[in-house]
Amino acid sequence: MPGVSSGRKRVLVVDDDQDTLDYLSALLVDNGYEVRTAASHAAALSQLEEFQADAVLMDVMMPGKSGLDLLVKLRSSPRWRDLSVIVVTGDDRVLEDHGKSYLSAHKGLRGPDAELGKPVDPEALLRLLETRPPMR
Amino acid sequence: MDDRHEQYFQEMPCYLSIHDKDFRIIDANRRFRTDFGERIGDFCYRAYKQREEVCPNCPVERTFQDGKGHSSEQLLLNQHGEWVYTMVHTTPFRDENGEIVAVMEMLTDIGEVKKLQWLLERSQDHFRQLFEEVPCYISVQGPDLKIRDANRTFRETFGPAVGNYCYAVYKHRDEPCLVCAARQTLEDGEWRNSEEVVTSATGKKINVLATMTPILGPDGKPEAVMEMSADITQIRQLQSQLTSIGLLVGSISHGIKGFLTGLDGGIYLVNSGFENDDRARIGKGWDMVQRNVGRIRTMVMDILYYAKDRALSLADIDPVEVFADMESGLQKKASDIDTELSIDINPDAGTFSGDAMAARAMLMNVIENSLDACRADRDKERHFVNVDVRREPPFMVFEVEDNGIGMDRETREKIFSLFFTSKGIKGTGLGLFIANKIVDKHGGRIEVDSEPQRGTRFLIRLPLEARPSVPPVEEPQAQEQ
Repeated sequence: MPGVSSGRKRVLVVDDDQDTLDYLSALLVDNGYEVRTAASHAAALSQLEEFQADAVLMDVMMPGKSGLDLLVKLRSSPRWRDLSVIVVTGDDRVLEDHGKSYLSAHKGLRGPDAELGKPVDPEALLRLLETRPPMR
Repeated sequence: MDDRHEQYFQEMPCYLSIHDKDFRIIDANRRFRTDFGERIGDFCYRAYKQREEVCPNCPVERTFQDGKGHSSEQLLLNQHGEWVYTMVHTTPFRDENGEIVAVMEMLTDIGEVKKLQWLLERSQDHFRQLFEEVPCYISVQGPDLKIRDANRTFRETFGPAVGNYCYAVYKHRDEPCLVCAARQTLEDGEWRNSEEVVTSATGKKINVLATMTPILGPDGKPEAVMEMSADITQIRQLQSQLTSIGLLVGSISHGIKGFLTGLDGGIYLVNSGFENDDRARIGKGWDMVQRNVGRIRTMVMDILYYAKDRALSLADIDPVEVFADMESGLQKKASDIDTELSIDINPDAGTFSGDAMAARAMLMNVIENSLDACRADRDKERHFVNVDVRREPPFMVFEVEDNGIGMDRETREKIFSLFFTSKGIKGTGLGLFIANKIVDKHGGRIEVDSEPQRGTRFLIRLPLEARPSVPPVEEPQAQEQ
């Protein structure tokens, strides 16, 4: 049921590619997580309204508004600023180039809590989620 | 003549001689006698030129005829066997009745002047030749920016330009360039470099490195500017190719990372499906593997097409055959993403002349792009891609319409740019670039209508008779592998 804690850690996966969503949600569910998926920036925000996530796993290269826009939105919101955010990217330069200018343009905002490169190493992902305490 | 005048006559620092009507020398001064010998009574043409008859265009003869003084340059041979360049002036002597009885001839030695003149001409020729043959474009512009002079390389590339405005000749403009290096140099007398793209008389774009040098007038102020431009097109092309290769490598590795994620996902679902005996999961995983292998195949074909830049190999093509080879693959892809793909080839479409392989790659890219646009759209319940092929002389028309996510103006304007992609990690930015290149090579064109959230329509017109922008070249078969 939405919004009710089942005791399992909750992860919102944001990616515009259905294959990636299918893969990561299967991987996380198999490892005991409660998972929601969102294929766009807007869908992610509406999911967060009802799904009290512990962590957000987001792709930064998406059509329309990028994952970094979503990060800024989350970090600027009193409600979501402490969410644990793991950024996934296939292009390291995105974080290096855009990430820095993005975050410097939004001074005082915290960057992502962790970064993962594509293709995602499942063990590294599970380890990261394991060590992130629930932010509730 | 009194003694004083006799002395003047004798000592004049030039050759003086007096001739009668028969061209005999009746008197001559000391200088004359020293160099040409004692010639009194001899014919002047014999004395000067060792001739046996009157010289053509003889100034003495003309003075006898018209009573006027004449001047001309003459090359004479002195008694020492040396040629002497002289300037000849003649004047008539008249008797009390006004009859011309003799003509005085004054010869001044202009050997030194001639020598200097010759040296000057030779050095002018020499510099002109250097100017003409320098392997760069040189033009000289006055303060009105009209070209005063131009070298051969310039004329051969830009056509006869003297008298025309530099901006018209170099850039086919109607008014001066916004930033005019020539004018700046005319104003401040400083030389400067600028990189420009100019257009030849035949319309070819040339990258040049132009150097402006002031040409100073007697007052030390610039009265003209010399523009010397080196053709750096090949360097720029090489640079852009190297940049392209860098971008290509980045784009490929970026694409591969996305496909690997998809393959990892497919393999994970297949493996975990086997462990739990979950057939649905195995099926979903296997579809994922197939889809991503398909994406890799398309990417590899695109890269090969991009890398090879092959010439068209023209043949009569039946659109039915083009689609026959790829329809089942496309239908599979469409059904995987719950999109209805209909391909409607008008029975009267007939055939057209083109490169079958290239046309197939082009259509594949456009249709796959539409399928991707449907897959990315989550607003609509039902998605479709309709392909309509029909004959509209002089074109074969391929219309590809979808109700996918559509594109905003910026995306629409960039879709045919190399390495542009709106698909995040799933795109290489090669597909539509190559599609557009193929259409262009056939002498056709692509039109795009699109609206965000509504969908996109590609209208591709290929000429029934391909008009290749580059003439087709037979490719050696051995290199096809």
